[in-house]
Amino acid sequence: MSEPAIRVDDISFSYGDIEAVKGISFEVAPGEILGFLGPNGAGKSTTIKILTGQLTPRSGAAQVLGVDVTTDDPEMQANIGVCFEEKNLYDTMSATENLRFFGSLFGIKDVDTDGLLRRVGLADRAKDRVSKYSKGMRQRLMMARTLVNTPKVLFLDEPTDGLDPVSSQAIRNLIKEEAARGAAVLLTTHDMHEADELSDRVAFINEGKLHAVDTPESLKLRHGKRSVTVRLREGDTVTERSVSLEDADAGELLKTAVASPDLMTIHTEEATLEAIFIEMTGRGLEG
Amino acid sequence: MSRPVSRASVLWAIVRKDVREYTRDRLWAFLTVFTLIVTVGLYWVLPDDVDESIRVGVSGISDPLFLSGLETAEAEGLDLVVYPSAEDLEAVVAREADAFATGAVATVIRHDAGVNAPEGADKVNAQLGLAFPDDFVAATSAGERTNVTVYIDAAVPDELELAMSSLVRELAFAIAGQQLPVDTSNPMEVFVVLGEDRVGNQASARDGFRPIFVFLVLLMEMFVMASLIAKEIQDRTVTAILVTPARIGDILAAKGISGAMSGMAQAVIILIAIDSLTPQPALILSLMLLGSIMVAGTAMLAGSTGKDFMSTLFWGMAFMIPLLIPAFAALFPGTASTWIQIMPSYPLVQGLVDVTTYGAGWAETLPELGGLLAWCVALFALGWVVLRRKVQTL
Repeated sequence: MSEPAIRVDDISFSYGDIEAVKGISFEVAPGEILGFLGPNGAGKSTTIKILTGQLTPRSGAAQVLGVDVTTDDPEMQANIGVCFEEKNLYDTMSATENLRFFGSLFGIKDVDTDGLLRRVGLADRAKDRVSKYSKGMRQRLMMARTLVNTPKVLFLDEPTDGLDPVSSQAIRNLIKEEAARGAAVLLTTHDMHEADELSDRVAFINEGKLHAVDTPESLKLRHGKRSVTVRLREGDTVTERSVSLEDADAGELLKTAVASPDLMTIHTEEATLEAIFIEMTGRGLEG
Repeated sequence: MSRPVSRASVLWAIVRKDVREYTRDRLWAFLTVFTLIVTVGLYWVLPDDVDESIRVGVSGISDPLFLSGLETAEAEGLDLVVYPSAEDLEAVVAREADAFATGAVATVIRHDAGVNAPEGADKVNAQLGLAFPDDFVAATSAGERTNVTVYIDAAVPDELELAMSSLVRELAFAIAGQQLPVDTSNPMEVFVVLGEDRVGNQASARDGFRPIFVFLVLLMEMFVMASLIAKEIQDRTVTAILVTPARIGDILAAKGISGAMSGMAQAVIILIAIDSLTPQPALILSLMLLGSIMVAGTAMLAGSTGKDFMSTLFWGMAFMIPLLIPAFAALFPGTASTWIQIMPSYPLVQGLVDVTTYGAGWAETLPELGGLLAWCVALFALGWVVLRRKVQTL
């Protein structure tokens, strides 16, 4: 088994009296996407700030690529890519200039700006100043900037927040490509569909505490209802009946329903990640 | 794959980025060019010469030798008017009488005399008067001590008292052919001590405004840097840099370098444009370099306190106004008050005045260089600490 790219062991952090992260532990393997699911203020961004060296944990230990995050080691920073929630780009500079500048901070003289911008669909706007970009274009440029040093670990903080479906999908595809390349990805989001689509595993975080870390399928299996909904026509009306798969006569009931000429639809009821999150934490993801 | 990256290349990359941002900001680029053009234009519009002609009333003259001495004095910019007596002279200076040019000797009419002024005669009232004793020529020729009474209107600057003392000495020298111990006493002001003769060496308006113009350019630089630093903090672009191999020290050093570089560049441009980089270019450039670093430190302070454009403007003004005071104080002759002398910008302004106006050298400017260096270190260190704290708490 390969060494984890990110290893977090019981870290805590407080902003004054407010405990933002309370003793969380998890690991992310190379090539794995870990979806960090939680509402606003749950501690997702604080965890990323700790792991990227912007904040020092009050207690616990964390390593990225085997380097203690509190040591302020440029070697670690040279191999990570961070996509911030806020669009912190230089407005007066073009996309190419932004990428070249950040490349130079990594010691890269010949940044493949064309290739990066092509990947995020901005090749034709490479020379435009960022101040002329739409929100979606800025976010795509943020992703391109994150990849400028071909990082081994990606920290993506709400990378598709507030974007149109096309831009969101473009960024999701990019994340999948990076994971396929072998990069470990820590993705924070409160979009359960995104987490479901992208994540190999998801971590539920609320009020600074981790409530679960598992694959979406396992969570659904463990917390889902395992039931089937049958819709039958009865004259001019439609009746809907839920059949629990745990019941002893579930097989017979379903056989009858399938044989009935009044059967309209039959489908499984799968638990959503949001429903599981609410069940485990007692609050929704949009908070 | 990790790549080794040197601190110098990181620093250089940030400096280049800062300069690029600076030149791309239309508002600041416009204000920078505008300030340069306006200050240079104003400098050349201001008069370069000084009307040093001072009307001085004299009494007690009759000797031809004495008169030849007076002609010499007139050539140095003194408009001498001969009054009939010391009493008349005192009355005119005390504004109790008017003097009229009616011949070799003026006619003095007291206000309470009820006599009309001579028709067509110009009023030749003096605010300064020298009452020579009857034995002045005889005493000075014999090398004996003598006294000259100096009458001075209360509104006359102190410097003119010195000029009067100097004039009396010159007259004594012209008569006796050697330096003599002549005392001048001023019954209205107690006593006037003989001092440096600045007649013919007065600072023109152009000279007076020079430090203001140069300092104005540096202050504009402070505004620009403060604004760019505040923007970097507000936009959180600084955090994007901090998750790369760049360290916070690189960012702060780059801000200092780019701020000092652009301040220095503009100061040199304006000094060349106003023809003030000579005769001590190395000394002037040293003063400007220290001034630029001090201003960069102040910009770090102002930039880290500002939360938006308006608050940056406010804090910029709060720092700028006190720093401008010594520059304005340089417009007025005499020694600046102690509280002005302890302002950070005072050594820079005074150093510039001494070097560019009075031709001071390294030795004479050493106190200003020392004071400026101390302020430079203090403000830059303070700016560094405050900005570092600000960035760390983002």
